[in-house]
Amino acid sequence: MSYTSYFYLLFFLGALVILYYLMPLKRRWLVLLGGSYFFYWLASGKLIVFLLITTVSVYLGALAMEREQKAFDSVRKSLEKEEKKARKAAMMRRKRHIVLAMVLINVGLLAFLKYYHFFSANVNALGNSLNLGIQLPALKLVMPLGISFYTLSAVGYVIDVYRGQTAADHHFGRLALFLSLFTNITEGPISRYGQLAGQAFEGHRVDYRQFTFGAQLILWGLFQKMVLADRAALLVSTVFRSPSDYSGGVVILAMFVYTLQIYADFAGCMDIVRGSGALFGIEITRNFHQPFFSRSIGEFWRRWHMTLGAWFKDYIFYPVTLSKTNMKLGRWAKKHLSPHLGQVMPTAFALFFVWLANGIWHGAAWKYVAYGMYYYVLTLFGLLFKPMIFLFYKKTGIQKDSRPWQFFLILRTFILVNIGMLLFRADSLPVFAGMFVSMFRKTTGHWLELGLDVHDLAVLAVGALLMLVVGILREKGICIRERIASLPIIWRWMIYASAFCAIVLLGAYGSGYGVVDPLYANF
Amino acid sequence: MNELLSILNKVKPDIDYVNEKHLVSDELIDSLDVMTIVTEICDEFDVEILPTDVVPENFESVEAMQKLIMRLQED
Repeated sequence: MSYTSYFYLLFFLGALVILYYLMPLKRRWLVLLGGSYFFYWLASGKLIVFLLITTVSVYLGALAMEREQKAFDSVRKSLEKEEKKARKAAMMRRKRHIVLAMVLINVGLLAFLKYYHFFSANVNALGNSLNLGIQLPALKLVMPLGISFYTLSAVGYVIDVYRGQTAADHHFGRLALFLSLFTNITEGPISRYGQLAGQAFEGHRVDYRQFTFGAQLILWGLFQKMVLADRAALLVSTVFRSPSDYSGGVVILAMFVYTLQIYADFAGCMDIVRGSGALFGIEITRNFHQPFFSRSIGEFWRRWHMTLGAWFKDYIFYPVTLSKTNMKLGRWAKKHLSPHLGQVMPTAFALFFVWLANGIWHGAAWKYVAYGMYYYVLTLFGLLFKPMIFLFYKKTGIQKDSRPWQFFLILRTFILVNIGMLLFRADSLPVFAGMFVSMFRKTTGHWLELGLDVHDLAVLAVGALLMLVVGILREKGICIRERIASLPIIWRWMIYASAFCAIVLLGAYGSGYGVVDPLYANF
Repeated sequence: MNELLSILNKVKPDIDYVNEKHLVSDELIDSLDVMTIVTEICDEFDVEILPTDVVPENFESVEAMQKLIMRLQED
């Protein structure tokens, strides 16, 4: 069920809001849980069993870890120092085994369903070329909806319990709701237990202000998705379907329009889900923070798909950097190579795994591995050449905070991100290479023959400009929803009516337009 | 304090570490800087920092980092 479908907006969301507020306060979570499982069942049918396996496994795993911890805590005061140390080590070992089992079960399921085709195709190709006689069977595998998102939330929960940052949840319903909440299940955000579980479970009273804010966010999300992203999709698919037919300016245009498409699509859907959550009094984590105002690649990834970046940071980057082997590597590099390399080596080593995971999380293909490595190389460049960059500023006297320099940094990051988007969208690595090179050739193809007429292109341009203005206002700390709320009622309703009309009249649906599923729902 | 300041200036030189009290929340240092600082602290002060210790509050200022080091040395 798409978040932009009539069924979702008018029937599902409408019915759920009515049922939620009719239910006694303490039982409102049941409406959300029932609604979320119904939503999932409509989208995935019997594949719901995978969601249940994950939920039951992490529920039991967390409780088992808590039992180990409690058993130790009950005797710790009566133990001598040495015995306490030994018992604590044994308890931590058992907890580690449990958390490892949970991670293996859940990441294993995800890996098998998502990567088996990729893995078997590569093993078979290698086997054939080396005459090894290896032939892995082809399996008919279907990906359950949102498995890449809820698995990370579930794994994050058990690791938090293992680390003692979160208490194990004894209420199965609360945990099930956290992992299945219909707003997050399709394409995130990847919520943390501590941030979402409690507030989703807790019953909320009708809050007019939050309700209208939610409705506004839904309208803005629909505008981005239906007016911009789905319209941009026509131009993008025309060029990327037969990339060899185009070169020069047309490829550059397609690259920029694809960036607009994926941003308007993903951020638009995130606004719809955040708005949907607000209707129930739930604050869904932000996933975007004006990413195209970033001055560096690192900053971009702190502002784009924020919950994914934060997950990788907490559960891959920190533990790998701080692992004993990695720290030894740093000491070795400091002693044998140079103090600077010794300083950056542990971070650089851990970043490799972060970007590899980021790449393959997006899909099972070599181009996604290359996508991760592209950002790894860019990040590594910044890390390794930090002393030179510092020296550059010192020698040239460039004021880092000056407006022209900030603009240059934003533009540089924007171009680098667009190249990454081209790699992300191209069918394969050779296609990406061909398209990248063709950007520097003479233009072939005409911008008015790419599936969009002048009217469509004008709508895209005005819409993109509107997104830019909204982004600038947000960067300045202006809350547009607060401003709208403070307007006289007649103006407020005129804005709502205009937004509604813009979506109805300019939305890319109906004859001549295809249905475009949310792009991130496929991950 | 001086040892810590020397590490910080080595990792990211152009910051007034003595007076800045919001290094992380004001985005003067990012997670890459924090991890480089962490690995240097582990080496220099012979302490073990766990992922759970890597929270913004522990790296907002020199004082916060010093407090963390002292706690870890006592453990």
